[in-house]
Amino acid sequence: MPAIEARALSVGFRTERGVVQALSDASFAIERGETLVVIGESGSGKTVLAHALMRLLPRNVTLAGEVDLEGQPLLALPEDEMRRVRGRRMALIPQGAGSALNPVRRVGGLMLEMARVRGLGQGEAREALDGSLRELGLSFQQVAERYPHQLSGGMQQRVVNAMAMVGEPSVVIADEPTHGMDPELVDTTAEQLGMIARRGAALLVITHDLRLAERLGGRTALIYSSYIVELRDTAAFFSQPEHPYGRALLGALPEHGGVAIPGVSPELTQLPRACAFAPRCPARFEPCDEAVPPMFPLPGGGEARCYLHA
Amino acid sequence: MSAVPTTPGAPGAAGTPGIEAQRTGRVRRFLGRKRPVTVIVAASVLGLLVLAAVTADFVRPMDSRGINLARSLEAPSLAHPMGTDQVGRDLLTLAVHGLRLSFGVSILAAMGAMAVGALIGVAAGTLGGRADGVMMRGIDVFQSQNHFLFAILIVVLFRPTLGGAGAIALSVAVTHWVQVARIVRGELLSLRERPFVQAAVNGGVGRARLATRHFLPHLIPQLGLAFVLMMPHAIFHESGLSFLGLGMPPDQASLGNLLSDSRRSLMLGGWWTAFFPGALIFIASLCVGVVGEYVRERSNPRWRSELEL
Amino acid sequence: MIAVVGRRLLALPLILFAVALLVFLLAWASPYDPAEAYVQGAAAGDALTPELREQFERAWGLEDPMPVQFLSWLGRLVQGDLGESRYLSGAPVVDALKDRAYPSLVLLGSALGVVLVGALLAGVAAAAFRDSPLDWLIRTSAYAATFVPSFWVALLAVFVFAVQLDWLPAAGASNLRSVDGGRVEFRHLLLPMLTLALTQHGWFTLYVRDTLLEVLRDDYVRFAEAQGVGRVAVLFRHALPNALIPFVTLIGTHIPELIGGSILIESVFGWPGLGNLTRQAAIAVDIPLLLAIVLVGAVLVVLGNLIADLLYRVIDPRIRESMR
Repeated sequence: MPAIEARALSVGFRTERGVVQALSDASFAIERGETLVVIGESGSGKTVLAHALMRLLPRNVTLAGEVDLEGQPLLALPEDEMRRVRGRRMALIPQGAGSALNPVRRVGGLMLEMARVRGLGQGEAREALDGSLRELGLSFQQVAERYPHQLSGGMQQRVVNAMAMVGEPSVVIADEPTHGMDPELVDTTAEQLGMIARRGAALLVITHDLRLAERLGGRTALIYSSYIVELRDTAAFFSQPEHPYGRALLGALPEHGGVAIPGVSPELTQLPRACAFAPRCPARFEPCDEAVPPMFPLPGGGEARCYLHA
Repeated sequence: MSAVPTTPGAPGAAGTPGIEAQRTGRVRRFLGRKRPVTVIVAASVLGLLVLAAVTADFVRPMDSRGINLARSLEAPSLAHPMGTDQVGRDLLTLAVHGLRLSFGVSILAAMGAMAVGALIGVAAGTLGGRADGVMMRGIDVFQSQNHFLFAILIVVLFRPTLGGAGAIALSVAVTHWVQVARIVRGELLSLRERPFVQAAVNGGVGRARLATRHFLPHLIPQLGLAFVLMMPHAIFHESGLSFLGLGMPPDQASLGNLLSDSRRSLMLGGWWTAFFPGALIFIASLCVGVVGEYVRERSNPRWRSELEL
Repeated sequence: MIAVVGRRLLALPLILFAVALLVFLLAWASPYDPAEAYVQGAAAGDALTPELREQFERAWGLEDPMPVQFLSWLGRLVQGDLGESRYLSGAPVVDALKDRAYPSLVLLGSALGVVLVGALLAGVAAAAFRDSPLDWLIRTSAYAATFVPSFWVALLAVFVFAVQLDWLPAAGASNLRSVDGGRVEFRHLLLPMLTLALTQHGWFTLYVRDTLLEVLRDDYVRFAEAQGVGRVAVLFRHALPNALIPFVTLIGTHIPELIGGSILIESVFGWPGLGNLTRQAAIAVDIPLLLAIVLVGAVLVVLGNLIADLLYRVIDPRIRESMR
């Protein structure tokens, strides 16, 4: 049984300009100890995926599809029970550790509160936190009496990671974990993420950093205009993407010639009832404009949302 | 670090459209979702009040205001929808005339504040440098003080020569020019940086022409709005000062005076003598406020903090 | 920290000087005639003969040029001599102020307390049940409260609670003096305090609600939610402390409003404080007393701002840190 599984998950926001379709028909499963990296350009629906899995969405949202956590359906869960899932069984490493730590609370108190929410006693919580922090090269004592702004960026990140690790959640979701980091910090963060996966959690990493994705391995899901368009082994994806968007994307990297993709991505309020990439696609043919392509299995494993592979 | 190249026109922060949609104006946050409805209601009520004030002489001519002790303190009825006061005068008649007086004095007062503010704002904006700095400091000090206390002092000092209405207008002008001065100065400073003004200056356009052709057209809508937003303050000052016996002469039926007169009637059970004049002050300033803030929210979101009551 | 306090304390006399200059200029520019006022007040019935006027003006230095007059007035102010009150038949203004300060502080302080507690409760409730009918009610009434004439509310309160129900006295706290050791009777305090609070809470309530809703969108709040922290704990332990920091400065900037409100409220209820004294001094055209009250008001405003500013620095760890 996968640690987490999404089936046909769709997320829309009702706004004054109409419904913004942020995620469409997303299906994937992650086993414990496995890593899935979700990549896509900003505004393509990645962060919404993280928040939808944890059900941390504003009230103007419409959700469809199913999410199972270790076989237990999550979307129908009452909010009270969902709260007990958060943190304990499913942890989030948010984008920007600095802004995720409450500026007027001491780090120790903050960490203890969040650990105790998971049902740990005071002593246990302290021990568990100290344990995770030590794995990341810090100790509870070092940070407990400080305020978040008194820690360096790297320390803040480790504090946040340690909080996610406490209580051995089965799923850890990292949302843009390297956003705005210098290369050195990216290295250590990548290592720490690898460690979380090795400890047995299902790791979902959301990023727009292709190097990080390549480094983390596992599988990669590529998102374009709210759709997962390719879901494959990371190494295979980076050596030979199968979806035309994936190819164009890698081709746009400086080392591959830096050819920009012509055209613009569609507005999420007006997604076509067809392949969203078709207007920009060099391989476009008749079926592309008729219906949204489903995910087609690829011969070498994985799937792509493209009629070329029908 | 190689990031996913962003294609031009990719929808910006579409990841958080919910949050985007929540960023709405003040009026809406205060008064709920149906803001146009609230604003329309406020504007209509305001229109009615203005109409009543303007047509006061026709609707309830002053001769029916006559003293008639036989009708002293009658509760509201069809003949006297707001009841009568202690000496038997029809309260509705007094109230519409009071409304007219209060509106009149408030308009005078707001105009005074506009004049003073515009003058000082232009001075600060054009002089610039040291003079500007000193003026802005002075403005800061002055704005942090209590306006009503100052207004009392001014009214007491100047009422003998200027009369009630004049003294109230002066007191509002002296205590409320600050916001107007800020707007004028800010507009002037930002305008000086605009390309078309630079171009005009380089093209040899004179100061006077620059002021009338470029500066004024930008400023007039702003000043108009500031004027509207000043009205609740002016209404409050008129009624508050008159209520204390420091504003309009007691024989004139301003709303504040009516409330002041009602104090004795209240002890005799005549709630209507206080209720209706006060409610008019309240409703008038509330409606002006709602309409004014709605217009500001649409036209000028960056003023937020200025001109608050 | 000390440097900041020092700088603010140094600015205090400057601000007071500016205010003193302003009120002096106003009085000087006005048609107010101190000689006439003096004669009318001290010796009723005496005509102001030219000789008498000359004598008076020489005695009071009124023949000096304006700047000299201002400086000598300022000099007397600094020494604590605020002049004599005509309204209080020649009693020193300073004594009158001392007498009336205590009841005013009681009223202002208690009303501020009620405002803060009420605004916090209402603001948190409105934010917690956002867009509900409760939220609508709190928002609308708070907004309306910013426009309601306080003296009208006071009159209605007198009518309902004193005249009709006869629960509370409408007035009569007149024996309240700090020098007599007189205690404030709660019965007398209740109506003025509640009316003042009711008509002043609007901005505070709206502010708490809006800041809280803004803070609730911050990353650390979402992170706390993602960690499984409950709704109530998120609101009170994570969001509220952050929302309260700017709230403290709001208290400072609203002290003038509170003082202005107290003038009208004290007048309605006959509260023996500075607000009521202001009205009495104004009616009696007692300029020295009025000038003194304006200056006291300015001192209160400046002190209030200073305290709020310092509190702000003390409770925000980010600023506290940078000041060590």
